[in-house]
Amino acid sequence: MLISVAISGTGGRMNKTIEVKGLRKYYEDVKAVDGISFSVDEGEIFGMLGPNGAGKTTTIETVIGLIDRTDGEISVLGMNPDNELGSIKKRIGVQLQSPSLFPRLTVKETLELFASFYPEPLSVSEAADQVDLKESFRTQVESLSGGQRHRLAVALSLVSNGEIIFLDEPTTGLDPKARRDLWTTITNLRAGGVTVFLTTHYMDEAEELCNHLVIIDRGEIIARGSPGELIEQHFPRRAIEFANPGFGERERLQLARINTANNLSFDEEEGRIIIYSETVAETLNDLFEFFQDTGKSLENLSVRTATLDDVFLELTGRGIKDE
Amino acid sequence: MNRLRIFRKMFLANLKEFFRDRSSLFWMIAFPLIFTFIFGLVFSGGDQATFTIGIATEGSTPVTEGLIEEFREVPTFNVTTGELEGELEELKSGNRRMVLDIPTITAEDVRNRVTSKVKFYYSKGEGETNRALISAIKEIFSGIERGITGTRPLFQLEASPLETRNLTQFDYVMPGILAMALMQLGLFGVFQFMSLRENKVIRGLAVTPLPRETLFESEVALRMLVALIQTFLIVVVGRLVFGVELVGNLFLLAGLVFLGAATFVSMGYMLASFTRSLEGGRNLIQTVQFPMMFLSGIFFPIEMMPNYIRPVVRAIPLTYLGDALRQVMVGFPPKYSLQTNVLILAGWLIFSTILAIRFWKWE
Repeated sequence: MLISVAISGTGGRMNKTIEVKGLRKYYEDVKAVDGISFSVDEGEIFGMLGPNGAGKTTTIETVIGLIDRTDGEISVLGMNPDNELGSIKKRIGVQLQSPSLFPRLTVKETLELFASFYPEPLSVSEAADQVDLKESFRTQVESLSGGQRHRLAVALSLVSNGEIIFLDEPTTGLDPKARRDLWTTITNLRAGGVTVFLTTHYMDEAEELCNHLVIIDRGEIIARGSPGELIEQHFPRRAIEFANPGFGERERLQLARINTANNLSFDEEEGRIIIYSETVAETLNDLFEFFQDTGKSLENLSVRTATLDDVFLELTGRGIKDE
Repeated sequence: MNRLRIFRKMFLANLKEFFRDRSSLFWMIAFPLIFTFIFGLVFSGGDQATFTIGIATEGSTPVTEGLIEEFREVPTFNVTTGELEGELEELKSGNRRMVLDIPTITAEDVRNRVTSKVKFYYSKGEGETNRALISAIKEIFSGIERGITGTRPLFQLEASPLETRNLTQFDYVMPGILAMALMQLGLFGVFQFMSLRENKVIRGLAVTPLPRETLFESEVALRMLVALIQTFLIVVVGRLVFGVELVGNLFLLAGLVFLGAATFVSMGYMLASFTRSLEGGRNLIQTVQFPMMFLSGIFFPIEMMPNYIRPVVRAIPLTYLGDALRQVMVGFPPKYSLQTNVLILAGWLIFSTILAIRFWKWE
């Protein structure tokens, strides 16, 4: 009893940097966000995961006061965006989706301009370094590639040196290396005590970065927790994957009858078959038998824990990219 | 302090955007200069109107020679003499404005006070100029007659022009070009804002602590700077290349330039606030700009336009800016008083500012 009091006491000292209660945003007949509540602790990477059109951007833009809300309470750094937006903006950095900037300013000039807006900005070269834009310092924005422009937008949020950094789909459109680099940058932010609010529709990104995340779908939060918790809670099964040796309809039906499998799916594009199971050893046994009977060879076999992709599929009945 | 620093940065950013954009440089700087050169070259021949008059005499006598001499002394006339038929041919082909056919007049005729009939030929059309020429010729003849008969004139006209400078057509047009440049600065200048708005740059800035007014103030400050650059260039080219002297007070000129620029800048923002898209805005602004350029009398006097168009002419602000600049820059006779000009421009400034605020769209 005493211990739990002590723990909740520590929790109390942990500042909630963002608190949202019952947030609603309705457009004429579309319920973009329909009554969501969440809070973000200081120094954590908070993720909002969901397919396109789920309401992630609407949520972020409402929280930073860029658009009005229909209903609900918002507090950012203990302030209300309705009447203290000016003070809030000085203490946060924001990267919006589809960034546009002054086309004829150079990267350096753009960073310097944005730095001048904040009371204690990060140095321009440090911000550029973090997103690997140093070599494009003297390039005008209109000559940047899509990926570079995107990284510049992230750098502009970093230059604020804000206590909370909002990143709306920061890695969309980046190549795999740039994505990895940006993940490192984001992880470093947390190490420096900065709170990060991140939206993404990449499961791996949420899994890799976020300490705490909510899954949002059609304007409502359908699950919340750490990535591990979410997987454990919603998807205790393991995935057994192997290459499809060219099974036709008949073999598929037979496979589906393996009684230890919870369900199975055929990934036609990648030529793989995935069987989900809570009892991996028995299912593998059944599988080996099945292959012996058919005389095909079992290749590229792997067993893995479920990912957030599997969780999303479980929760909504759709893949996250099916939208 | 902080605000000032942000303003300075924002102003510099706008300045760089402007000077790195070829199309804005062309419309705001090169275009007015090209106009100045074109009009300057077209009108550089001087506009002292001269008329070539052919005089044919049947027989030369001291009296007719004297008459011809009198005509030659009138600076407006370029007198040629020859056979009637030849001169009439020249009239037909447009090389003579008028041909006088003077009969043989002897000293005897004069003494006996014989009336001699002088015929003159001219081409129909161009009625007003012809009427003026005819009365000028009549006046010359009666002057000669008075000289011969010794009658003293009852009235003596003494022309004393108040304006001692010789105003040319270019003097009329040059302030008009400046007025046009200021209009384009205001109306076309807002394209930059509209494109930032359409491309969501303004939206991107909205999430930063940049005060929105600062964004706006820095744009207006840039326009005012460009207005001064335009004025300077047009005045310098006018003076050095075409010899147009500035007669007015420089502070008064600067004041008018600022007022004119402010009026058209706010008209630009007003038009921008009527539309959302860049394309719609561009069409709307061109629809306003083009007729204004030709109906404001900045290139030719309003008197040359038909009556039914005059109300439009009197409604548009460019008319008044052109008139005010003509007065202040080259001392052209006013069409409206300077006060009227300033009041109407200020009225437009206030009117368009109110509408711009009322319909303002940041996004």
